[in-house]
Amino acid sequence: MRQALFGLIRKEFIQVFRDRNMLRLIFLMPIIQLLLFGYVVNIDVKDIDLDVYDFDRSSESRELVQATSANNYFTPHDTVIALRNLEDNFQNSSSDMAIIIPHDFSEKLMRKESPTIALISDGSNANSTAIGTGYMAQIVQSFTKGYYWVEPPLKIRFDVLYNPEAESVYYMVPGIVATLLTMITVMLTSMAIVREREVGTLEQLLVTPIKGRVLLIGKLIPFAILGLLEIVIALTAGVLWFQVPFVGSPILLFALAGLYLITPLGIGLFFSNVTSTQQQAMFFAWFFSVFAILTSGFFTPISNMPMWMQYITYLNPMRYFMEIVRAIMMKGATLPDLTFQVGVLIFYGISIFSLSALRFSKRTA
Amino acid sequence: MSHAVEINKLSRHFGSFKAVDEISLTVSHGEIFGFLGANGAGKTTAIRMLCGLLLPTGGNGTVAGCDIMKEPEKIKTKIGYMSQKFSLYGELTGRENINFYGSVYGMNKREISSRIDELTEKLQLQDLLHRQSHSLPVGWRQRLALAVALLHQPKIIFLDEPTGGVDPIFRRKFWSTLYDLGEEGITIFVTTHYMDEAEYCGRISIMHQGKIVEMGKPFDLVARHKAENLEQMFIGLINERGSSGA
Repeated sequence: MRQALFGLIRKEFIQVFRDRNMLRLIFLMPIIQLLLFGYVVNIDVKDIDLDVYDFDRSSESRELVQATSANNYFTPHDTVIALRNLEDNFQNSSSDMAIIIPHDFSEKLMRKESPTIALISDGSNANSTAIGTGYMAQIVQSFTKGYYWVEPPLKIRFDVLYNPEAESVYYMVPGIVATLLTMITVMLTSMAIVREREVGTLEQLLVTPIKGRVLLIGKLIPFAILGLLEIVIALTAGVLWFQVPFVGSPILLFALAGLYLITPLGIGLFFSNVTSTQQQAMFFAWFFSVFAILTSGFFTPISNMPMWMQYITYLNPMRYFMEIVRAIMMKGATLPDLTFQVGVLIFYGISIFSLSALRFSKRTA
Repeated sequence: MSHAVEINKLSRHFGSFKAVDEISLTVSHGEIFGFLGANGAGKTTAIRMLCGLLLPTGGNGTVAGCDIMKEPEKIKTKIGYMSQKFSLYGELTGRENINFYGSVYGMNKREISSRIDELTEKLQLQDLLHRQSHSLPVGWRQRLALAVALLHQPKIIFLDEPTGGVDPIFRRKFWSTLYDLGEEGITIFVTTHYMDEAEYCGRISIMHQGKIVEMGKPFDLVARHKAENLEQMFIGLINERGSSGA
């Protein structure tokens, strides 16, 4: 039955490569997604517009303002407008934060009396507010060091491992790899099988002596190969264009991607079992992708979700693969570090795939 | 094996619905057998059982010497099948379609290409081998589908409305090809809605509500029912019976 298997795989590739739309989907989707997520979904906080209300106008207050502009975290705007107009700039979005330095700032500083400054921020952008406030605390802490002879009793040293500049694209590329692999395999698998049913070629195949399992494997292998090709495209583009570091072993990543693939292939197969048109299959695949992406921790950390939702994320196989890709690419994790995730993926792969395969052979027999 | 197809009281029930209800027939080697009946009479279900796609719920029989109940997979190696709907791959050229089905039947490259040469001569395939099959006219597609059905040199071919939507000139040519195949000893089991085509068959059966209600040589049947032609006989028979069950 080797001829039949190779025949099926060759046929499937001819079909894919003669279909212009399919080609666009396969080769442009990873690039476009990468560019979109790399540039649009940018969660780094830089160049925060900071309105400065300096009532002291001393060399000390100027020094503090100067310090905020270091590292490009803030862009300070010296304002001469009255304090009561502060909110106007938030409302027309010309500033994100405001700092108020009282007139006795330098005086108290000289007398070592702890002056108070006010930091007011626009909470409608919760993410940049939280991060900006953190930056400001660090800047003020290091500023005060120069004026007090005694070190503060408690000191925090900030250290971010693996991604010290907190570049969001470093975080996004592994997410895109996991997402693409999932979407492409679920979508292409379910549609390719349903299409054969819709067009009638499945019936023609079933009157031939082809074995059910040969048919199944021959239908799935091409999409597994295409899925892995997607990863290569996305990773190459990510490393070359966005210069995302790849710390761990690419071979381990590919091996585990191969293991993970069994699950989305099984899910695609399941969708092809329960639908009878390509449109229905597409809709199922789309709905699944949205669920998988949102509960995978791609955009929002799972630990931020309510507890019951966190339990639901355990049902999402992509969640574990997302952890694997991030751990290998960013932290250089090795197989022993990933025992739990690999174990879960083996479990999901075997159970989902064998259930779908069983149903497939029942329906085609 | 004395007959190409030999079935005895074959039935297929879906719940309480008797799609096929105890049909019996025999078809000799090299015979062109017309399997007639109105839409919904149970022809497709019967053909699916004969091709090993569906297990009967009752009765027994053999196709190409293989037991329908016990060896449906073995039947598949010995028969060819062509359906009313063009069911080959549109993106593939004629040759690629044939190559693909050849590989599915376990043929190697050399066997396939020598078979393509034979079939090209017999069915005039030369113009369709290099074109993607979705761009082919309907008549050409049917020729390609017939080539695929004959690829592995089956002894019996099942044709389910092979000439639907095809012009009369092509139909005439198609039937003359079938005659040639019959001469070679290939058994042809064909369904059709065209009564002129039914006249070309050696024998026909007429199915109604899951049962075979009439069987014989076309002109014997016309004479037996004192009808003017096959079409009148067919309509008369269906109308007469129709009231009893429906």
